[in-house]
Amino acid sequence: MSASESFLMEQRHRPRQCEAGRGAWGRGWWALVVLLCALAFPAVWSPAAVRAAEVPNAVPPEGSYDGKHVPQPIEFPHDVHVKVNQINCMYCHTYARRSPVAGIPPTSKCMGCHSVIATDKPRIKKLVEYWEKNQPPPWKKVHDVPDFVHFTHEKHLRRFVFNNPGMDVADVKEVCAFCHGQVAEMTVARKVKPLNMGFCVRCHEANDGPHDCWKCHK
Amino acid sequence: MSLKNLLENWSRYRRGHEQGGYHDYEHMWAMVIDLDKCIGCNACSVACYAENNLAVVGEERFARNQAMHWMRIERYWDEPDLERAGKLEHGEYQQYGASFLPMNCQQCNAATCEPVCPVAATYHTPDGLNAQVYNRCIGSRYCSNNCPYRLRFFNFWSYYETSWPKPLDMQLNPDLTVRDKGVMEKCTFCVQRIRAAKDKAAREGRKVRDGEFQTACQQTCPTTAIVFGDLLDPESQVSRMWRYYEVELGKTEQHKRHPERRGYRIMEELNTDPCILFLERVREV
Repeated sequence: MSASESFLMEQRHRPRQCEAGRGAWGRGWWALVVLLCALAFPAVWSPAAVRAAEVPNAVPPEGSYDGKHVPQPIEFPHDVHVKVNQINCMYCHTYARRSPVAGIPPTSKCMGCHSVIATDKPRIKKLVEYWEKNQPPPWKKVHDVPDFVHFTHEKHLRRFVFNNPGMDVADVKEVCAFCHGQVAEMTVARKVKPLNMGFCVRCHEANDGPHDCWKCHK
Repeated sequence: MSLKNLLENWSRYRRGHEQGGYHDYEHMWAMVIDLDKCIGCNACSVACYAENNLAVVGEERFARNQAMHWMRIERYWDEPDLERAGKLEHGEYQQYGASFLPMNCQQCNAATCEPVCPVAATYHTPDGLNAQVYNRCIGSRYCSNNCPYRLRFFNFWSYYETSWPKPLDMQLNPDLTVRDKGVMEKCTFCVQRIRAAKDKAAREGRKVRDGEFQTACQQTCPTTAIVFGDLLDPESQVSRMWRYYEVELGKTEQHKRHPERRGYRIMEELNTDPCILFLERVREV
């Protein structure tokens, strides 16, 4: 068989393949309808997948982790603060933009609002107790990297938020979500990303971060 | 770190060697140690212990060469040159005192320790530093055996319980790891301070300035015998001194126009290309 003949044979086979494809579409049309319905109702979307795409010039890291619930002195509702009241993460975790650690706000910052807001709620009453005793609530650390790792929030925020053209600082929670998950959906924060070396390195590769060992290992 | 990176490092070294410079490095941290100023007080060594969480191993292990001093002062009592010249009779030499030689990692650009590491735990950073990654190290000790300066130290034991008994562990520097048994370690040119300075410079959107930070040994030296800085910055004190003493990187032999200028690098003829320039001691004879 010459080359041209074999080419013709292929051509002859091709329509049949197309027909088979069309048949499959015919049987699966209802799947398309379901998909369209799903697209019509954004609530069905996975929130992480869609919102993460809002961060320009960034490839969100992949990976998940099933962290344990860490009991905190006060069951702090992140969802109320972030989702309902639309407070920027960096309003309370103010050190994130200028230091290695994001920090936990001083009790005075909580009291700044809660001396007037929701003062009758049991959690706030507990907070006021701590405030009057002059003691900070003994918050437990949820996201911790090992001691041999040098991690700075500051540099990551500069890369993904402040020096990122097209990025709105109001959407910073989508950047936080890279490593902390959608905290807006949680009450007390839970570790939902692995935060191990593979997780970091894959993100550094995807986003053109530094590859030097000594950038992170100390 | 991978084989690819190692080969890249090697080709970068070759390229720098041929083109007479290290221009694709971000920085090239280097040091000048003036042996004429050094009084052998060991303050640099003590500062290094405090800054870098070095374990105190005890007398017995010290005698077995298991000490962890990243910065050590070597003492030389003999003055063979003077004896040979007949200016000194044997036994008389101590009136001139000892010669001291502070030795810390030479941060060689063609480091002999790097290619022998089976797991690439030691490699060259874009800062021209010879890095040691403790997590990666498996303790084969090839690097230590291949170092001509004997400036790599191995943790033969876990020292953190004996070296820092209970309240003393509060003095540990949180900016670097406390190494455990089975890991090689060495002078890092105080990389935690470099890192902090670079972070600060990045925050302010500028480059690291000369003299903005000091290594612990330099900071402590009472006679300012140690100068540290970036060789790629032509205005830094270190690069001015290297130029004055006519010592260049990437050479195994320095051809000086002014041979009386006393800068030299230790064992540069081995082509290790060290980053520490020593200024010879001036003898008063």
